[in-house]
Amino acid sequence: MQLRPGEPQASLARRSLSFAVATFLVATANARPAMGASDPDAPDRPSTDSADTEGKRDRPHAGRKDDQKPEDTATKRASIELAGYNDSDHVTVVTPSVALGIENVSGASLHANYLVDVVSAASIDIVSTASPRWEEVRHAGGLSAEYKPHDFGVGIGGSVSSEPDYLSYGAYATVTKDFDEKNWTLFFGYGFSHDTAGRCGAGGPCTPFSVFSRDLQRGSFNGGVDFVVDRASLASVTGDLIIESGDQSKPYRYIPMFSAADAAKIPAGASIEIVNAHRLPERPLEQLPLSRRRFALTGRYARRLDDSTLRLEERVYDDSWGLIASSTDARWIFDLGKRFDVWPHARLHVQSSVSFWQLAYVSGAGPGWNLPEYRTGDRELGPLYTTEGGFGIKWYLGTDAEPRQWALQLTGDAMYTSYSNDLYLTSRTAVLSALLFEGEF
Amino acid sequence: MDPRIVAASVLLALTSLACSHVAPYERGLLAHPMMTADDLEGPAAAHVLAVHEGATGGGSLAESGCGCN
Repeated sequence: MQLRPGEPQASLARRSLSFAVATFLVATANARPAMGASDPDAPDRPSTDSADTEGKRDRPHAGRKDDQKPEDTATKRASIELAGYNDSDHVTVVTPSVALGIENVSGASLHANYLVDVVSAASIDIVSTASPRWEEVRHAGGLSAEYKPHDFGVGIGGSVSSEPDYLSYGAYATVTKDFDEKNWTLFFGYGFSHDTAGRCGAGGPCTPFSVFSRDLQRGSFNGGVDFVVDRASLASVTGDLIIESGDQSKPYRYIPMFSAADAAKIPAGASIEIVNAHRLPERPLEQLPLSRRRFALTGRYARRLDDSTLRLEERVYDDSWGLIASSTDARWIFDLGKRFDVWPHARLHVQSSVSFWQLAYVSGAGPGWNLPEYRTGDRELGPLYTTEGGFGIKWYLGTDAEPRQWALQLTGDAMYTSYSNDLYLTSRTAVLSALLFEGEF
Repeated sequence: MDPRIVAASVLLALTSLACSHVAPYERGLLAHPMMTADDLEGPAAAHVLAVHEGATGGGSLAESGCGCN
């Protein structure tokens, strides 16, 4: 990770993670193994009460010598993934990642993950400012712990993401409570994160955060209910409220300005030459509002059929910048014997623009310019829709008795995004593929 | 009251009314591994969606922000 020893943010992040580990260890040490055995009636929850964990608990001892040792009742999981992304805007991202987990029969679990994003970009936004290809590495890691001995559980976690010009760290806590023989479960969580954005030269040194930086605080409330619909169906409804405070304008994003007469002549998807021929000399930095409230409502539904599983998700979104969105996601997973699962995947995302979105921003003549208060070139804040289609295949490599102990998974998705009112682009195509290997032991 | 809160409350009430009690011994189908709430795709896919779509939320509390966009 590119955490700098002298930075207070990094020290705070390390202290948060250390606190999370210490809390988990105390919880595990105080756990009473008999508590797990008091809840044998919950085969449906994807938590520490898994059937495999139960199996380990019931496994007979090998002999008298083993009886004298503490039995290892924990289930360990590990996975590694290599993902690649490429799009028609000349952006390539390679992402290796690793995840580890351990679950105890007493209801305690600990999970850790780490990933690296290697980004190489020569997008239209970079080329239009006469900048060279941009390359960057992002490191991100997270640690979480949960303790749910019976029908009430608590969890905590922390995460850090670091780039040469951006540092983010956060922590969160969750509570869950089962009701009515686990026919429904309420959950609630709160997370806080702090981001610091800086600035680096093109392939050169970065300005220290103490000289230039912008801070962003984010508080996230998350709550909802999981419930059993019938003998073959599960569903959940989740609400999210995210409150952001700070300047999240990008310090590299310069916005071309136009006279009122010229702005009307600029078409969507204009070339760099057309923009440069009509724009005013002034090219101010992006400026976004200094606070944002986001609200999302997500419904999920899963139904087990004879030899397949249908998983559906719908999310609606609204925020204080005026952006409204709908995201619909569907997967239909087919069992092909004991060794293979295959599935098609489809997704549709539609969104409006933020209220201050303009294809071509208008300003007055110098020296005052009379710039618009808010201005952005982030096309993900403009009107767009994305259609996505893909597939997945999972190959179970374990023994005949436990084929799911080891698995290899390949997924691939193609995305087409249409921008109806963007200065430089009218569309973008992208492909994302990932190869995952996971094991449980 | 905020209409979004009203809509969420109504949705929660309707969904709870639509459900029937299922006893633990009747949950064999629900215990299938593909019925878990876990994402089938790894962290890279979730991150791509977060960057591609200007509407975050409904996901995990666990992920930190980034200067990716």
